[in-house]
Amino acid sequence: MLFVQLLLQGLQVGAIYALTAAGFALIFGATRIFHFAHGSSFALAGYVFIFAMQAGWPWWMGGLAATLTATLFGIGVFWFVYRPIQRHEGSFFTVFVAAFGVGIVVQNLIGMTAGRGFASVDTPLSRAVEVLPDVFLAQVFWVAVGVAAILFAALTLFLTRHNAGVALRALHQNPDLLRAYGLSSTRLSLLAFALGSALAAPAAMVTAMTSGMNEAIGHQVMLISMAATIVGGVGSLRGAALAGLMLGVAESVALNFVDTQWAEAVSFLVLFAFIIFRPSGIFGIAQAR
Amino acid sequence: MIAYLTNLAALAAIFGILASTLNVAVGYAGIFSVAHAVFFGVGAYAGAQIALVLVPDALLAMLVAGLISGALSLCLALPALRVRGEYFVAASLGLQMMATTLFSEWKSVTGGIGGLTGIPRPHVFGVEVGTLPLALAALGLILLATAALMRGAFGRTLRSIRDAESAAEALGKNVAAAKALAVAFACAGAGVAGALFALHMQFVNVESFNLDQSVLIMAMVIIGGTGTLLGPLVGAVILLSLPAGLAFLPFIPATEVGAVQQMVYGLAMTLLMIFRPAGLVGDLSRGKSMA
Repeated sequence: MLFVQLLLQGLQVGAIYALTAAGFALIFGATRIFHFAHGSSFALAGYVFIFAMQAGWPWWMGGLAATLTATLFGIGVFWFVYRPIQRHEGSFFTVFVAAFGVGIVVQNLIGMTAGRGFASVDTPLSRAVEVLPDVFLAQVFWVAVGVAAILFAALTLFLTRHNAGVALRALHQNPDLLRAYGLSSTRLSLLAFALGSALAAPAAMVTAMTSGMNEAIGHQVMLISMAATIVGGVGSLRGAALAGLMLGVAESVALNFVDTQWAEAVSFLVLFAFIIFRPSGIFGIAQAR
Repeated sequence: MIAYLTNLAALAAIFGILASTLNVAVGYAGIFSVAHAVFFGVGAYAGAQIALVLVPDALLAMLVAGLISGALSLCLALPALRVRGEYFVAASLGLQMMATTLFSEWKSVTGGIGGLTGIPRPHVFGVEVGTLPLALAALGLILLATAALMRGAFGRTLRSIRDAESAAEALGKNVAAAKALAVAFACAGAGVAGALFALHMQFVNVESFNLDQSVLIMAMVIIGGTGTLLGPLVGAVILLSLPAGLAFLPFIPATEVGAVQQMVYGLAMTLLMIFRPAGLVGDLSRGKSMA
């Protein structure tokens, strides 16, 4: 029964990973920017949600504020950090270092204002009940899995049916041609950042309700999203989400065999193996580089 | 005060070694490793174990630490040969995270979170010496070796790989060997720095070898200027004196000094990348055409 319990837990964590990874993959796929501050969007959204709940706001207002924070932060980082760097043709590594700097600043700002250590929201949703003998499940499980599934379906519809979504995919494939057709790549990049960052907000809210936030969580989320994006295959949202789900389950099920401390290392072992043996990921096309 | 300054100088020399060896990988070969602290850690544990179990001979400890780190650099060279750009950064991040776990869990060798304590003071040929002269000598030697290597054919090969890998390969350069060698040199240097660090602090634990440390070393190289001999040293001195400098500012509460320091260097990294991507020492025309 322990296995079932761990599997369910893994699915819940995996749904969160899948959302953040899909956001990261959307941004990276469309704009080719290695948005290492994506985890900061997640952390900020989570803390805004916690503050809002502590202030006694209704949950939907807290959620709205969190989503807005994440979106604005994503857009802001693109506008004030990435765009100036890209204008003078900075390399990917310049972007990476700048984003890492942003991540450090945000992490310490959170540490100074919200305090260090774990903070969480207590809701009736996170109370676990016994659903099978020895298997406990909180309602938040269904929230996490449901929200992830709905958002993912909506995102897929948007990317395949809506003009702007199709343009985003075009930006990924051939930015020059896109500009030749008179579309603004800057505006589309903004859209990618807004959407991708917004996806981190629900994941952050679920995390705040379950395992809780701490100031360093952005880092961890970022690393997992990056791992999932690469394992899933760059440019494939489906791959990123699936890989995120897989990593969550793998981390959780690994607890059946190894100690807790090793759980995180499992994800990175998977990442490392993929980079060495199959750098194009599960769904990726073979990389030309 | 003298002791405090000597301590700071020794640390600056050790981090100078770290930054300048990382610079060989980042600045000359274009291999953006965010796992330098891993090899620093391997060297530190190796050096500490030698001093604890065998003899506290600094030269032996540094030699063994350098050899082990250099051999383990294969873990980094392997992905460096397979992938480039973002993928390699991701791979090195993965390596860093795995190593951090290993450092804190392999208790028989690393002492776990508690670390290794009571490392004896360094000796050379049976005579006790301070770490400052040792570290300065090692730094000098490594800088000399770097300068000599980079001026020669090997350095030109590395730079050609950094700027145009396919072209270098087409001209008959052995790209794989050059990359592996550069990584091995950088990691062995980090190992030597690790042994010095262990002997200097007389205590090591996993805290000094995590991702934050890797990024700190990376920041030293970037802020100083990649691909220059002096840049990484300048970066190391600046970032090391930052906490000391901030501690003297009266308006920052003592409990927040660490956070403020982190924020200053995070902000410095971001702003420098926006306004001066080649670093403080690097010249402005470079850095634009990288990767």
